Amino acid sequence: MTAFVVIDHVDQVFPLPNGQSYIALKNINLEIRKGEFVSLLGHSGCGKSTLLNIIAGLAQPAAGGVLLEGRQVTKPGPDRMVVFQNYSLLPWLTVRQNIALAVDEVMKHLPAQERRDIVEQHIDMVKLRQAADKTPGKLSGGMKQRVSIARALAIRPKLLLLDEPFGALDALTRSGLQDQLIQIAQEHHLTCIMVTHDVDEALLLSDRIVMLTNGPESYIGQIIDVPFERPRERMAVVNHPNYYALRSEIVYFLNQQKKAKQRKVKQAAIARNGLEKINLEIGFVPLTDCAPLVVAKEMGFFQKHGLEEVTLSREPSWKAIAEGVTSKRLDAAQMVAGMPLALTLGMGGKVPTPVVTGVVLSRNGNAITLSKRLYDEGVRNLADLKGALAAAPDRVHTMATVHPASMHNLILRYWLASADIDPDQDMHLTVIPPPQMVATLKAGNIDGFCAGEPWNTHAIKENIGFVIAHDLDLWIGHPEKVLGVREDWANQYPQTHLALVKALLEACEYCDDRRNRPQIAELLAKPEYVGAELEYIRAGFLDPYDRGDGKPPEQLLRFNQFHIDITNCPSRAEGLWILTQLARWGITPFPRNWIEILDRVRRMDVYGEAARQLDFPDLEPNREPFALFDGTVFDPDDPIGYLNSLRIKREIRIEEIDIDHPAIVVAA
Amino acid sequence: MQTLSNINVQLNDAPLDQDAFLVIDNVSKVYPTPSGPHVVLDGVNLSVREGEFVCIIGHSGCGKSTLLDMVSGFRQPTEGQVRLQSEPIVKPGPDRMVVFQNYSLLPWFTAFENIYLGIDSVWPDKPKAEKEAIARDHLALVGLAEAADKKPKQLSGGMKQRVCIARALALRPQVLILDEPFGALDPITREELQEELLKIWTEHQVTVLMITHDIDEALLLADRLVMMTNGPAAKVGEILEISFPRPRNRSRVMESPLYYELRNYALDFLYRRCAHDDVE
Repeated sequence: MTAFVVIDHVDQVFPLPNGQSYIALKNINLEIRKGEFVSLLGHSGCGKSTLLNIIAGLAQPAAGGVLLEGRQVTKPGPDRMVVFQNYSLLPWLTVRQNIALAVDEVMKHLPAQERRDIVEQHIDMVKLRQAADKTPGKLSGGMKQRVSIARALAIRPKLLLLDEPFGALDALTRSGLQDQLIQIAQEHHLTCIMVTHDVDEALLLSDRIVMLTNGPESYIGQIIDVPFERPRERMAVVNHPNYYALRSEIVYFLNQQKKAKQRKVKQAAIARNGLEKINLEIGFVPLTDCAPLVVAKEMGFFQKHGLEEVTLSREPSWKAIAEGVTSKRLDAAQMVAGMPLALTLGMGGKVPTPVVTGVVLSRNGNAITLSKRLYDEGVRNLADLKGALAAAPDRVHTMATVHPASMHNLILRYWLASADIDPDQDMHLTVIPPPQMVATLKAGNIDGFCAGEPWNTHAIKENIGFVIAHDLDLWIGHPEKVLGVREDWANQYPQTHLALVKALLEACEYCDDRRNRPQIAELLAKPEYVGAELEYIRAGFLDPYDRGDGKPPEQLLRFNQFHIDITNCPSRAEGLWILTQLARWGITPFPRNWIEILDRVRRMDVYGEAARQLDFPDLEPNREPFALFDGTVFDPDDPIGYLNSLRIKREIRIEEIDIDHPAIVVAA
Repeated sequence: MQTLSNINVQLNDAPLDQDAFLVIDNVSKVYPTPSGPHVVLDGVNLSVREGEFVCIIGHSGCGKSTLLDMVSGFRQPTEGQVRLQSEPIVKPGPDRMVVFQNYSLLPWFTAFENIYLGIDSVWPDKPKAEKEAIARDHLALVGLAEAADKKPKQLSGGMKQRVCIARALALRPQVLILDEPFGALDPITREELQEELLKIWTEHQVTVLMITHDIDEALLLADRLVMMTNGPAAKVGEILEISFPRPRNRSRVMESPLYYELRNYALDFLYRRCAHDDVE
């Protein structure tokens, strides 16, 4: 399909008075389909209006160009109408005359009566019949903006360009106009490009949100697909299970940009203590099992191993963690176990970024929580859940996990499939950051989730859910969180990497001494770390675990496992199981060269060296077949045979993955 | 008080605390027009505790500004009474300072002089040095010590609004009235000023009444959010209790499950139950 609008490698450069030049936009590349609504979002000065002006033909790019239906845009024209923030109506003309002026100018070829009909029709479209004979001075801001929208649409543009159209209006008046714009855009199948800095506005109106980085040299930082069904209605959009997840993703992007603006210069590496870099920024997600990082920082293990300036960066989601490490904003991060493999394989059609792990930071710690509604319908176990799904075939049951490459997703899917529930056909699975699980469950927008603590306990204490299964029911001792760093980072800073793994190994050992746990729980409860009630953090970590199903709480000594039983070894067999599951659900292809991939990603050499230097055993567990709760045996010598034997799966792609020379992905 | 899970909502038929710090007691405002009386506000009841931060939200034409004008003393109620510490409010006074959206600084005076002017008119007998010290302290409070000698047109919108807040606080008001103070600012400056206001409010322990159109702003700042019904004849629809612990931090507030519940509740009130179209 050919795109309707093509923005082809556009640069914009402005000369400065001192003879130098300011590069506003750098290499903007974007294709827009007919009928699509695209928002350009970014802070002031990010060049979004500059880009809109280029599309409008009001300015010419320094390099590249814009095509509308295959023709290059070189000047303004009535096929692209712009609505500006400041209305730009002629003050001495009435509403009707303002619209008629444009229609008479552009549609000279039409008979006068027909032109008059068009004007009247557009007055009605924006519901200004009562005000048709008023001049702009007698209209409210919202009404004036409706006149400019009517004027723009009356001459039937192919493309409607909106430059912060509602920016001058208060939030509530704005909402009325947004509702009207959605309706008009839907009825008339308009193609729209809107510049805005209002996140809610962008989510409500757009099919895609294009986020620009700060200038100079702004580029497209991220594009968000907005999945809400159309026709849209404000409250239905706000209640969509992904609304707040998307909203916080955008807010997070904007905040990162805001911080970048304030920071400007990223701190250079400081070499000291025989290490290449002792100033590290390490990402974590607020969960009980971030304990090893918090302990390494607070109990001085980083310091002991020469890492004198470690900052722990509290990240809102696993997606932010992945972005932070691949974009080099973070030196290292706590990651869900499958993330280094998934990033290395180029999950989601992205360019593969080799990421390695030299230490597993924790095992177990997750649970599957279902809503109280399902409990009240009598659901107590997986078979009951299957029955409940069968009993309500018209109802879409939605469950959330925290990231596609997380054990939460892989184990939840495995668990459902073990009972012949196809997680993609019999249910709807979605991704929501851990801190938003409870609110989303409470709002009734999801029916359950799989996440770590303290979120299951939080749902139970709020009496909105119960734990139907936890990790000790499913796979005792599965790898859960790992340390992830980019492979090029590990190669650039090998001694630093080793010191980091050593510090974390000692921190993990400290975490598994139960005498230390009351103190660790208090550290975790602090607002800069998990920031939850102490009682929620202690559940499972220290105190008996309450499943919220009326049974007495149980003491689960291995619910959070940080060191015992070779916890910290990034064993390859477990990595291989993860690869099979990523392939099973179509998240990544299965690499034919899995041995090479596992060798590169699961850094047994770094783990072994760190363990030996600390006098810990450096053993890898025996390479033998293992099974989860359902007894299906996984044989690490025959992953493909295992994949073939699975009943419920997606189409499995088996590919040679060359991570040093990634194939250039050609968009279909 | 009605409890919906975690959300505490006070409905408009709740009894009024007659002895509160600030009491808006059954206030109505009616304007005569050629086509008969126009009722702007119809029986508004609200009591505010000392040191409380209250935000008021409602669609345009709901009479929020009219209501605050009766607290500041610029207008008088047609019926009912507004009382501050049991004293009826009959005229404007330095115990109730107002900050408007459009800054209203005197353009020919510097930032310092704008603040000094207010201090000088309230305390003409204080020694000059003391008055100057108060002005300087309050400029420093809003982070503008460096800009003391600049005139308004040399200041950005955010800086001008800071001067207005400093000018108002310099007079040690008991009630600070803010009429959509950040409406004209860009989002980043707006967030910065919200955080600054929060800090100042915490330090000064002043009672704040603030009009906003921004639910997120109210959720960050306020102890309670007063949601008005649509005009004409507007009244208090519901009052939402915002119980996030203080001191508050934007990202912590946004990650609380309660945030989404409160936000959706307020959205539902404004966009469904009190849906509004500005077409006359």
